[in-house]
Amino acid sequence: MILVFTLALYLVGAALLGASVIVRREGALRSAGWIAGGLGALLHAAAIGLRCAALHRAPFVTPAESLSLLAWLLVLLYLGAQLLWRLTAAGALALGLGFLLLFLAGRLGDATPVGAASPLLAEQGVSLHVIATLASFGAFALAFCCAALFLLEQKLLKSKRALGWLKVLPPLVVADRAALTLVGIGFPLLTLGILSGLIRAAGGGLKPGWASDPKLLLAYGVWGIYGAYLWVRFRSGWPPAHTALVLLVGLLLCLLVFVVPTAVHRFG
Amino acid sequence: MVGLSHKTAPVEVRERIAFTAPGRLSEALAGLKSAGITEAVLLSTCNRTELYVAGDTGPDVLLELLAQLHPEAPPKLSSYCEERRGHRVVEHLFRVTSGLESMVLGESDIARQVKDAYGAAAQAGLTGPTLNPLFHKALEASKRARTELDLSRGAFSVGHAAAQLAEQLFGSLRGRGVLILGAGDMSEATARHLASAGADTIFVANRTFERAARLAEVLGGRAIDYEAFPAQLAKVDIVVASTSAPRPVVTRALIESSLPARRHRPLFLIDIAVPRDIEASAGDLSDVYLYDIDDLQAVVSVESAARQRRAAKAETLISHEAQVYLEKSRAALAAAPLVTALRARHQAVLQSELARLYRRLPDLTDAERAAIEAFGESVLQKIAHDPTRQIRVLAEEQPEKLDTIREVFALDPSPGPFPSVFPTSSAEGKGSIPSGSPSLAPSETETGEGRGRGMGR
Repeated sequence: MILVFTLALYLVGAALLGASVIVRREGALRSAGWIAGGLGALLHAAAIGLRCAALHRAPFVTPAESLSLLAWLLVLLYLGAQLLWRLTAAGALALGLGFLLLFLAGRLGDATPVGAASPLLAEQGVSLHVIATLASFGAFALAFCCAALFLLEQKLLKSKRALGWLKVLPPLVVADRAALTLVGIGFPLLTLGILSGLIRAAGGGLKPGWASDPKLLLAYGVWGIYGAYLWVRFRSGWPPAHTALVLLVGLLLCLLVFVVPTAVHRFG
Repeated sequence: MVGLSHKTAPVEVRERIAFTAPGRLSEALAGLKSAGITEAVLLSTCNRTELYVAGDTGPDVLLELLAQLHPEAPPKLSSYCEERRGHRVVEHLFRVTSGLESMVLGESDIARQVKDAYGAAAQAGLTGPTLNPLFHKALEASKRARTELDLSRGAFSVGHAAAQLAEQLFGSLRGRGVLILGAGDMSEATARHLASAGADTIFVANRTFERAARLAEVLGGRAIDYEAFPAQLAKVDIVVASTSAPRPVVTRALIESSLPARRHRPLFLIDIAVPRDIEASAGDLSDVYLYDIDDLQAVVSVESAARQRRAAKAETLISHEAQVYLEKSRAALAAAPLVTALRARHQAVLQSELARLYRRLPDLTDAERAAIEAFGESVLQKIAHDPTRQIRVLAEEQPEKLDTIREVFALDPSPGPFPSVFPTSSAEGKGSIPSGSPSLAPSETETGEGRGRGMGR
């Protein structure tokens, strides 16, 4: 029941923030959207905590739980980013994405019976591995939202059309900086996630062939993409518009990491 | 009146018929004078070039003259121009002066620009009995609209729009570098908006270094040599260009050469000059955002409802003022022949009596004669003062009684139909000028005493 309220709050929050963008007014609608998102995140945290307490295990045993956790981390990251930058339009996307992930998690959870938790989850290293990786994906998803706004705003500014929309979008430089900062946060988290996973794998006890697990290989790809993004931003100097497209490719790879079949990354 | 504005011509055309470059306006006024025009005001701003002429010169001739006055006049100028005659000129000038025809509705700069244009024409000896009262009254009406209706409050100026766009691009302007090219009023206004939005590193370059230094002092910035400005393009974030150069001073090649050092930092170019100062193709470069005066219109068009309401009230006020002026002009014109005839009659009596007196007193010295004549003039003035004033009042309020006045004073009973300075017939309206139009403004038949020949003939 708590998750239903959470879903409703995420949806309402996304709708209110979206409406404030559409009517081009950043007043009561925006504030109400933030409040709905914040309340949703609180309820979501309570739901995750209660589930952990009830089942006596980590909140990411099943794919549905992982999706739910990812949704919560994404919304939490957005609320934090909102404090730093004016990201109302990104909030509409982030809360909408949070709603979608949680909705999918609900559908997936209903369809998949909960099995016994893997003993691996009792290890702190594995928890760190999962949480760091999911948090990085949340940061990458939010970075993508910012990059999408950057591209939209750049198009508006260059074409000099529909300039009235600009006042509800974050400043161009801010959108770019937010995307870069979020990747700057997500990349070390992903590195930590991958390294902690590799260290655990090196300790033994995993199924044979873990090193060629598609999820792991794709995770390397994601790491490479975002690493390359940071490198070109700091060293080679690609135009921000080109690097924003890199973030789109990175997010697609993140989604692939989620859906790709795996034998190693099963904890329930 | 013939001319074009931001409503009829894009900036690419307007800049080719702008008389804003130093010396160009005075040359044009001299040209008008030598072409035989007796009364003319040439209003040239970044948004409009309009030639107001009193007399019977047709609009097609005026247009041709306008094109000849500017060495870079665009071909097919007529297709961008409008012509107005008669009362429509009055209404248009009143609207222009009060900012109702401005790109930035209600902006106050235009009143100063009209005043300057009128001043330049007056200095060139090109104003007279038709244009003097017209421009004075237009400026008065504009002042009234601003003070009574607060028309300029919240006016979203070009400078304001530029600063808002800069904030949309960069967020806070604190720490952003701004280069101001040209130290005119527009530059200063835009720079002030940028400074109040937080821009704190301001460089000013102007051909006259002293003017750059003065503006830099006002803005808390630094004046640099005009020749040194290209080096700043790699460092600053915003460039405001508003020089009076006849050709672009910031070329695409110049911008392109600064890009490697910028490492994809956005560069916001604000070109508020007409003719434009920045090569238009520079806006196609990556990370470069170029906005000229027309582009800023899209930003300034987003206006508050309250301001729109004030503007609607101003429309009514300005229209009323124009009507009052027209009625007074017509009344003055109707009264003029009577007043002239009355004074002529008084003069005739005075001269006749003086002649009789001199015959009776032939030994009067010149000094004595002069004293007597002065005395006579003075008495006449005093006698004529009240009737003259009353005739003017009657012409305004009860024109039908003018005939009675004529009879009472036994004045010429048929001075003929009075010419109309500001005719209202449909033939004297507003229209665009088709290219190659042979004659668009057929003159009305001039009658009466040859006075008050209208601008709209």
